[in-house]
Amino acid sequence: MARDASDQTLTVGRSPVGSFFANLSGSVFAIVMFFPVYWVLITSFKPQTEWSSFTPTFIPDQPTLDNFKSAFNAPNFQQSLVNGILITAVAVLASLVIGFLAALAVARFRFYGRRAIILVVLAVQLVPFVALLIPIFLMLQRAELTGDSIIGVTIVYVVLLLPYTVWTLRGFIAGIPRELDEAAMIDGCTRAQVFWRIILPLTGPGLVATSVYGFIQAWNEFIIINTLNNPENQNLMAWLMQNQTSRGTYWGPLMAGAILTSIPVVIFFLAVQRNIASGLTAGAVKG
Amino acid sequence: MKRKIAVAAALAASMLAAAACSSSSGGDGGTVSADKTVDGKGKTIKVWLMVDAQSGWKSVVDDASKRFTDATGANVTVEYQQWANVLTKLDASLAGTDVPDVVELGNTQFSKYVDAGAFAEVKKDTFENSATWLPGLSGACEVDGKTFCVPYYAGARVLIYRKDLFEKAGITAAPKTYEDFLAAADKVQAANKDPKFGAVYMPGRYWYAAMSWVKASGGDIAKKEGDKWVGQLSSPASQEGLNKWVELVKKYSKADVTKDEADQYLVFSQANAGMFYGNGWELGSAEQVRKDPNDPNSALVDTKVKGKLAAAPMPGIPSLLGGSNVGVPVKSQNTELAAQWIKHFTDSTSMKGLIKASALPNATALLDAAATDNPALAVGAEAAKNSWAVPASGKWADVEKASVLQNMLSDILTGKKSVADAAKAADEQIAATLNG
Amino acid sequence: MHAVDTPPTRATGAPGGPGGPGSTRPGARRRKRRNPESSRLPWLLAAPALLLLAALLAYPMGRMVVLSFQNMQLRELWSGAAPPWVGLDQYTKVLGDSVFWAVVGRTVLFTVVSVTLTVLIGLMIALLMRRVHKAVRMAMIVAMMFVWALPALVQAQAFKMMTDSNIGVLNYLIDKLPGVEFQNHSWFFTPAQGWIVITACVLWAGIPFLAITLNAGLTQVPKELLEAATVDGANAWQSFRNITIPILKPLLVIVTTLSVIWNFGLFTQNWVLRDGKPEPEFQTLATYSYLQAFAQNKYSLGSAIAVITVILLLGAMAVYIRQMFKIGEVD
Repeated sequence: MARDASDQTLTVGRSPVGSFFANLSGSVFAIVMFFPVYWVLITSFKPQTEWSSFTPTFIPDQPTLDNFKSAFNAPNFQQSLVNGILITAVAVLASLVIGFLAALAVARFRFYGRRAIILVVLAVQLVPFVALLIPIFLMLQRAELTGDSIIGVTIVYVVLLLPYTVWTLRGFIAGIPRELDEAAMIDGCTRAQVFWRIILPLTGPGLVATSVYGFIQAWNEFIIINTLNNPENQNLMAWLMQNQTSRGTYWGPLMAGAILTSIPVVIFFLAVQRNIASGLTAGAVKG
Repeated sequence: MKRKIAVAAALAASMLAAAACSSSSGGDGGTVSADKTVDGKGKTIKVWLMVDAQSGWKSVVDDASKRFTDATGANVTVEYQQWANVLTKLDASLAGTDVPDVVELGNTQFSKYVDAGAFAEVKKDTFENSATWLPGLSGACEVDGKTFCVPYYAGARVLIYRKDLFEKAGITAAPKTYEDFLAAADKVQAANKDPKFGAVYMPGRYWYAAMSWVKASGGDIAKKEGDKWVGQLSSPASQEGLNKWVELVKKYSKADVTKDEADQYLVFSQANAGMFYGNGWELGSAEQVRKDPNDPNSALVDTKVKGKLAAAPMPGIPSLLGGSNVGVPVKSQNTELAAQWIKHFTDSTSMKGLIKASALPNATALLDAAATDNPALAVGAEAAKNSWAVPASGKWADVEKASVLQNMLSDILTGKKSVADAAKAADEQIAATLNG
Repeated sequence: MHAVDTPPTRATGAPGGPGGPGSTRPGARRRKRRNPESSRLPWLLAAPALLLLAALLAYPMGRMVVLSFQNMQLRELWSGAAPPWVGLDQYTKVLGDSVFWAVVGRTVLFTVVSVTLTVLIGLMIALLMRRVHKAVRMAMIVAMMFVWALPALVQAQAFKMMTDSNIGVLNYLIDKLPGVEFQNHSWFFTPAQGWIVITACVLWAGIPFLAITLNAGLTQVPKELLEAATVDGANAWQSFRNITIPILKPLLVIVTTLSVIWNFGLFTQNWVLRDGKPEPEFQTLATYSYLQAFAQNKYSLGSAIAVITVILLLGAMAVYIRQMFKIGEVD
């Protein structure tokens, strides 16, 4: 019956039965999607006797903050937090500045070699970075930028973010009508002034989107840093990874750690979520 | 041939370089001796120990470091490593210049690094109790009469069981023979009808256990024939042992066959099983857990099985001797100081501390004392006397890293392969790795 | 929720080809005029980026290729000595190894299945979002945003906890169904079930991006066009096929290729769910090459695998590069 009705009309929403089913499946979808998030949340508030029980509780019986205390005071947590912030901030800023300049060149100038640069930027995004880990490791290791130093891994993250940054910012810059530049030039602006007064302000949203994506990438990375650095000098994600594989898994503290680790990302993400989707697909939808 | 010479030359060169760099290298042809007085004022040595020391006997470490500092004037930084990635970390560190001065590795991991020339030779008789070091530990350290590391502590696996359930099932004494053990399992299983209950908790990827059953039946993992390793798992004796173990798992265990033994004491503490095969320290860990697992000083919390557990030697099953050794990397800049620290860390005073913390000492001479000083260790000390070790090959660590044995057990228990086929496949992989 | 609020697609543009041919010509003329005076500036601007890419991508890639023709192991790593040359040995070893081909086949199969499912479900959810009540839509978006924001490592750990045979809530819930015995069920007992868990985790993590992006794309589909189609007697499927899909096509190409790249490199999920040591049947190219190189210390063999992976991926992605290049060309 319901199927018949929906076949006849353009949108299911117009038939009450179809609308009911649409709303029902939408709600079920939302619940199913959210459930694991909910489970992570409540596990972090359960004491050991509760999260390790074979009969799970759906609302913590004896909610406690001990797991968070435990995670925060765990070995290397605080150092990893500081490292994570430092590495991420420097990597995102550097890739933004360097990437913006390159994007400007590709988007606003027509010169010999432009196509080649675009091709390179596109192609390197396909190279799985884990594949390059061996030579990068050998190289940085010789340069003594690994182990206790976070310089090596920061540089690697800059390179990791760069192709994406160039490509996305190129899309945003190209979206600014060329006529604006030219009008300004006619009005007597120098090229530098055009850059500071027109291009930079107008690419603001693009810079935000790119930096947030970059932040998430760098913050969530753990394979590279785990290979390059000592256990005392990891970022939070790598700390979380290591924290799980000792003797058995202590899910309560682990999930508390996972939440502490995710909070910055979630905040950033929710604050600028609109820009993220546009950033990821900037190339595709611009016309 | 040329290639081999080149490698040897390069290695020799690197060792020379290391020797030239080390501040006070002894005159015994590169052998590090621990019986000298070394002035280490203003120096700091870096020590890598595994997390077990941090959670189990940090006071022993601190005390040894203090005595070391008093004797030499040098400081110590101890960095605690995770088992999961210590080897990768070590590989990376040894390639650089910032090398730890003392490194702890599991006894089954050491041969690989000794073989590759990563550790400096030490003068054996300058370390206390070296005459009676447990062979299962020191075996990995000794090549052609030379010693490259120092045994640190041992662990043996024992049977841990629920006293209350044994009583309930009418069993009065710990099993004395393997048949006793099976009979007890039958009775415990019969007395507990809960479908989740298994008389024996035995996870499917627990290769230390499975190999002990293989040894019990007279089988072996691999044997050296001439200068080639040959896998022995498909020999009739080994297969008999494997079959016995698989039967046990299928009949009495409700454990996840795709898990290993890492969290067995946690699962066991949920009171859904009658016995398990574990390290001596796991008895205590199953009865009480730290309120804050990241803080070794936090309060202990009782689990559901508090006060209900007892241990006994696993009858008829020789234990794999687990444990750790410590060594000095050739690239260390402070080899003499490192040896001094090891001397303090493995002397009788430290070993007494380990015994108190329920770890087995590194020498047979101390085993009996251990049993009287700490009754909880008596069973483990007994099991350690009847123990075995993995094939003494520099490549053995690679077999472990490739999870060859675990994958074989999974294949058997999930019904993917028969015991014979899985054993044959594992033999091939082991031979290829050990001879490769 | 309009995620694509930056440069919106012009509905007037020909569907399928972003930017009409008309837009290129005047720009090209102007650029030509400017060309001589500014050929050095753009290179200067791009120089830092290119230098970094050369130092940390091109050079390591070269090193990787060289390494794959050598035999580098622990001794060479420690001593810094030049590894011996072995010619094509590593490649013949890898290409002649049935385990390697099984891993490749498994990775490709997983990529195809998981990407197809993610895109299809993502599209369905995007369509559904346009037909539900505002409150329900909000709930869907909030739920998806939380999932999307979680780090992949946390996502995988959440699934590991929920599918644990002993304390997992999944077994507990399924066991509650009448007549189903699911206590202590091991989800990784058979490869099929194990891969269902891994794929579910990847889908759960991947759908939000797809659904939200595609939903934003759907807002670009002019309502009038759909209504006109209905008046002309087209049914829902017909107008979806002939109007919605063509407009969404460029977006679909991008999200699909992104999903292919992400899922082909599957590492975190199977790594975490199998406790850092996946059984052979749960290995993918990424975990396999990582373990070969860093666990087995066969750095050269790992490099050879990496080279082959890059070649495979470049081959498969040629279409993507062409598509992206076209986009890069028009402005």
